[in-house]
Amino acid sequence: MKARPSMHLGVILMLALRNLRRNLRRTILTATAFIIGGALLTFAQAFGDGTHEQWIDSGVRTGSGHVAVEVPGFRVSRKIEDRLPGGTLRLVRTAVDSSAAADRVTDVFYRLTINGLATSASGARPAQVLGVDPTIEASLSPLDEQVVEGRYLKKDDRLAAYVGAGLVDALDLRLGSRLVVMAQDAHKEVAGQLVRVVGIFRSGIPGLDDSVIHVPIATAGEWLGTGSDVTNIGVMVDDSRAVPGLLRHLRRELGEPIGKGEAAVMGWREAMPSLHAAVLVDEWGAYLMLGILFVIVGFSIINTVLMSVLHRHREFGVLQALGLTPRQTGSVVLVEGLLQTVVCAILGVGVGLGLVAALSGGIDISEIAGGMEDMQVTGVAIDPVIVPMVTPVRVLYILGFMMLVGVVSSVYPAMRAATIDVTESMKFER
Amino acid sequence: MSESNGYAVRTAGVWKIFQQEAEEVQAVRDVSLTIGRGEFTALAGPSGSGKTTLLNLIGGLTRPTRGEIWVAGSELGALSNRELAQLRLEQVGFVFQAYNLLPVLTALENAEFPMLLQGVPAAERSERIRELFDRTGMTGLEDRRPGKLSGGQQQRVAVVRAVASQPALVLADEPTANLDSHASEALLDMMAELNRELGVTFVFATHDGHVMERSRRLVRMVDGAIDSDETRS
Repeated sequence: MKARPSMHLGVILMLALRNLRRNLRRTILTATAFIIGGALLTFAQAFGDGTHEQWIDSGVRTGSGHVAVEVPGFRVSRKIEDRLPGGTLRLVRTAVDSSAAADRVTDVFYRLTINGLATSASGARPAQVLGVDPTIEASLSPLDEQVVEGRYLKKDDRLAAYVGAGLVDALDLRLGSRLVVMAQDAHKEVAGQLVRVVGIFRSGIPGLDDSVIHVPIATAGEWLGTGSDVTNIGVMVDDSRAVPGLLRHLRRELGEPIGKGEAAVMGWREAMPSLHAAVLVDEWGAYLMLGILFVIVGFSIINTVLMSVLHRHREFGVLQALGLTPRQTGSVVLVEGLLQTVVCAILGVGVGLGLVAALSGGIDISEIAGGMEDMQVTGVAIDPVIVPMVTPVRVLYILGFMMLVGVVSSVYPAMRAATIDVTESMKFER
Repeated sequence: MSESNGYAVRTAGVWKIFQQEAEEVQAVRDVSLTIGRGEFTALAGPSGSGKTTLLNLIGGLTRPTRGEIWVAGSELGALSNRELAQLRLEQVGFVFQAYNLLPVLTALENAEFPMLLQGVPAAERSERIRELFDRTGMTGLEDRRPGKLSGGQQQRVAVVRAVASQPALVLADEPTANLDSHASEALLDMMAELNRELGVTFVFATHDGHVMERSRRLVRMVDGAIDSDETRS
């Protein structure tokens, strides 16, 4: 009677299952290492992704938005003449509404950003004056929440200014003080505007606190003679992964001004390269750490499986004497490893997801960092509460990676099992 | 490749030489031997005489340095590892001095293991094992794992495993060495009965005088070579 290979597979599977079940201590030890590793990997990835999303979110709120529309070169020149043509804002709003990603878009904001000078009786300091829509900005920018005195701008404010604490100190200002902001206007003349301090903020980031002033955009338009023109339009989405699609759509819809060189559409990576670099560096740092963790887990699995293989030479010899080929004998060890890997990878990821769910309210890392509340990355103020984030693609990556580690860890012991000296392995030892 | 099927085993000028460090050890020297079907043969000799190595060569567990070995009509040297494994599965049963049962399987699972590999249907497996366990006094111990069986019981399971798959040949290496005289006698009775009733060919490697007395053919080996070959009536 010729045996069918599938029957050998069935027997190999049965043997592998029996070995796992009847060597419970060994199985539990190996499984525990793998499950803990998988849970740590899942949670660490979720925490890392959540952290990066937080960085991006904070960065785009303070900065350019997930997608920025500007005149090409404005980022470098910062000149008032590099304004977006009238009607661009309307075009962007229409394009966003018709976008496939419309349900992902949360806000569209606009600013008139000017580099100028702030002067008071005590002196003058360079300043970055942002003409903003107070209502939109209050709902978006984290700066309005960082008020230390007074209040943020209101819809009907006219000659009001919301000033960074560093600049307030440098110009010896206080709440209610008057200061003059000066910059080149639309006619290339130097123009000044008297404003009154209605609020003082402290973000903890010197680059912001020492130079930024928010004024109502209507006031800025009158002061500089730019009317309702803007220098920056930002589009916010609820998840940074929606950016590439939105970017393609906006570039298509704004084809005419882009073609004329009057506008450029950029994703946050392009608009804030230092933030993108920081995310990448942190991501690869995390991959390196997790790689090291899994090399350790992999070696502990190899060690446990190999030790068991070394103790099972007689068993493998018997299997070959009874009719298994060396390759099939190695398969018993490989199948044991694969079975354990599949189950442990799923359990490990499950435990990690449970941990993520349990901490879905967020983790306040300022407590871990010794009560440090003013956290920043590349000049971007970061909310210290990190919400771990999991995506199906990430889960698949983690499962795939764990399977790979499990398979690689089982191959060497399987090869050892397949290459034993059968007659030596079955010798009787007195 | 296929020769006459009138015998179970035939060796012609078989040598097995091991290299131990700088020294060459001739474990089997120019052995030519024919064992007919249904024989009950003992390979006897002192330790190191080459009887276990010859048994391993016949079972295809190791390959000869020189010479040819035929088992059930197949010349082992012409077979690939896979074909050799298939031949062991279908034609050869092993009984070892150390029993060598699979520790994670029960007595019943151990006994039916070669039949599982052969793809014997469950009902037939069950029938054969039930009958053999009955013959060998193992009924009631089917669900015990090897660690819960005595040496004699383990060896009986090993014999059942060796014969249940209905091989042409059973190779038994010192099967009684770890058994007391009572268990040893019972085991020999059982194997003699299986030999007589089922026509299974048994070849023992032994230095147990009792096994030699019970064998119908006694091949004595000294220093790897056949010293004498005696057939009894």
